[in-house]
Amino acid sequence: MAADLNIRITGGAGQGVHTLGAIISRMAVLWGYHFHATQDYMSRIRGGRNSYSVRIGSDPVRAGRDEADILLCLAPGHLPHFLPRLSKGGLALADTPSASPQVLSSPLKQMAVSAGSPILANMAGAGILACALGIPLDILAPLLAADFKGDFLEKNRKALALGEEWAMGRLGDTFRLSRAPSSPRVVMSGNEALALGAIAGGCKFAAGYPMTPGTGILSVLADNGPAVGLVFEQAEDEIAALNMAIGASYAGARAMVATSGGGFALMVEALSLAGMLETPVVIALGMRPGPATGMPTRTEQGDLDFVLSAGHGEFPRLVLSPGSPEEAFDLAQHAMDLAEAYQVPAFLLTDQYLADTIVDMDPAKFDIRPVRRHLVRGTEVPRAANGRYLRYAVTGDGVSPMAVPGEPGITVVAGSDEHTEDGHLTEDHDARIRMVEKRRWKGEALAQRTLPPLVSGPPNGDAVLIGFGSTKEVIEETRQILAREGIAVAAVHLRQVWPFPAKEMAEIAPRYDAALTVENNISGQLARLIRRESGAEIAGTVSRYDGLPFTPETLAPEARKRIWEALSTRMSRTHGAKGAETSGS
Amino acid sequence: MEKLGREKHEIVLVSGIGQAAKLPHYVDVNVFDGLHGRALPAAAAIKMSNPAMTVVVTSGDGDIYGEGGNHFLHNIRRNVDIALFVHDNQVYGLTKGQPSPTSDAGWAGSLNRTGVISGPFPPLAVAIALGCGFVARGYAADVEFTADLMLQAIRFKGFALVDILQPCITYNKKNTYQWYGRMAYKILPEHDATDRMKAFALALEWEERIPLGVLYRSVRSTFEEMHPAIPGPPLHARETLPATVQEMLRKRTLTPG
Repeated sequence: MAADLNIRITGGAGQGVHTLGAIISRMAVLWGYHFHATQDYMSRIRGGRNSYSVRIGSDPVRAGRDEADILLCLAPGHLPHFLPRLSKGGLALADTPSASPQVLSSPLKQMAVSAGSPILANMAGAGILACALGIPLDILAPLLAADFKGDFLEKNRKALALGEEWAMGRLGDTFRLSRAPSSPRVVMSGNEALALGAIAGGCKFAAGYPMTPGTGILSVLADNGPAVGLVFEQAEDEIAALNMAIGASYAGARAMVATSGGGFALMVEALSLAGMLETPVVIALGMRPGPATGMPTRTEQGDLDFVLSAGHGEFPRLVLSPGSPEEAFDLAQHAMDLAEAYQVPAFLLTDQYLADTIVDMDPAKFDIRPVRRHLVRGTEVPRAANGRYLRYAVTGDGVSPMAVPGEPGITVVAGSDEHTEDGHLTEDHDARIRMVEKRRWKGEALAQRTLPPLVSGPPNGDAVLIGFGSTKEVIEETRQILAREGIAVAAVHLRQVWPFPAKEMAEIAPRYDAALTVENNISGQLARLIRRESGAEIAGTVSRYDGLPFTPETLAPEARKRIWEALSTRMSRTHGAKGAETSGS
Repeated sequence: MEKLGREKHEIVLVSGIGQAAKLPHYVDVNVFDGLHGRALPAAAAIKMSNPAMTVVVTSGDGDIYGEGGNHFLHNIRRNVDIALFVHDNQVYGLTKGQPSPTSDAGWAGSLNRTGVISGPFPPLAVAIALGCGFVARGYAADVEFTADLMLQAIRFKGFALVDILQPCITYNKKNTYQWYGRMAYKILPEHDATDRMKAFALALEWEERIPLGVLYRSVRSTFEEMHPAIPGPPLHARETLPATVQEMLRKRTLTPG
């Protein structure tokens, strides 16, 4: 039988929860298994109640689970909070006596002290977990050597060994994983994958102001910047960040910013500037629960409406919503390319859940496309009759040839006032009409490149579950659960929400008796968007808005209930209509 | 600009919004006319992206000291090699006569009929306090003198500020040509512009008389020189090699055995 094991490590910030989680995950990959890791952490530097859940499976694992099979509490006080979500037959390890038969009191602190420092409790825990899974510690040797140095490496090794030694004979075979064939796997979070995708897409300038969960993207760009010739600067605020990115873009660099909803709120004026100046720019927005500061380290999909309508005035934009780290890598390249090809702002709309989700992936799934610039240089720069270059020359598709300042013989004029083709400000109404229409044509051309939704499951049937962004994999696993129960259900993932794939949605949704959206928000923003843009009938929304991501085990019962409700409403409506017809004739 | 000896395609004039910010539309060089208060971040990034360009910001007191105050502070700290010219007329002209951050306390205008309560923003003192390498004050009535200050500022390696006193004949009936004529004087040649304390003392002069000229001058390394990724070709000419990205993925790849 396929293994499916959920390990949850809990502790305060600073106790090494993350390090332990990362070690267990990588250990599983080297042993021939796959994993999906999610973090649930509080907005604090030290202390608090954080958890790191690693779900290990024989098949690639792409969603989390609520129930843990093994719970390891580095802070014994956390035990009562996490114990109710321990599976039947599950095991809890904590450095405290407990009346529960599921809890094995483990001397983590004592082992850590013996190894040389109380902070090594996490490594003693790793030794226990390795023993529980039946994975020999020597598999970890290269990882440890890379992570730790000198004396500290020795102490870590000792703590691991003490943990393993203690666990021998105490844990049984329940959680043992037999060695499986393994192959090279890329291990990355959603944030890392997005940032690397942007680099692959030719990003050469990035600016940002730290804000969870966008900071992880900025740190990858900052750390790798010198190696790839990318200039990163921490801005004084988000207003500066986007204005800087737009300045760099005017100077010919592919540029991006990364933030969350509150930071993006400060960028909105500059978004409109990008619309007017027609400077390409990529905005990565990791959503978190609002309004205002909300729950800073948790997840939500509440900013869809905001991103679609942000910015004063009318101008085209691209909004992509990756559903996995691989897709984030791919769509970040796409965003970089299309932003420049159509000279528009392009969004990568993610959330804390995807940002912090770490999985192992097939290296072959990472398609690095050559960067093709859409700038005009040298003799390609078109000149008007008077010999001048027109930055906003009106063309058939509204996209003007974009030259870079510094090009000999020409000047590049970009103005935030309405402008004539040469970029200089104007109050002429005919010129205004030409520019408004030019910007609109650009949006129409961009819409021709819309990525269609991804559909899985039967081409027609009882129900279809529709989501965007980070819900992709959870919806897919839920679909498989419901399909096994005999429900003819499909899943639709929107990786692009603007320009909206209206034609496709209008065609897909009616093939099922009930169409439901699955959204990490209360108001069903995607459902409204689908209705408005495609006219498709959406029966309702499965919402979650507690700050946590969906999991298949919580989504499946809710989706099942809502599908039956929708189907019975539809049937009673159909019968009602028939009845009325009969009585009338 | 012509005295600079640079070709027009090598110069970028950057501005925000306001009467002074319209200036670039009347000069034949590269132009980035952005948002109110946001000229500096855009200008800094243009220079970071292509340090070979001469980047000059020209805007007003409301734009730079009011709406863009935070960018003013932090771009002085950043020390990107750009010149900033602030046409300081102590009033919002384009929106018809409201007080600006540099309006004198008690000055009465639109939206403040009983007089400004807040004290004036002292741009030169703030700039010197933050370590701005070139701090000067010009006066629009003395064109040649001011043009020379502007030229010095552009040639200065680092962030350079020239605050240019500029009477608004329409909306500012206090700080007029006559008033400035009485108050303004040229800093004596004996002034040691490298002495920060003396420069600060000059910057605080306003009530009795107003010094014109270079108050402070001190060279330090620019942002572009210090930044690990800026030296090299301009960003628009840099390539992205798939092999580099492959290597970044490889570093994140776990290989068994």
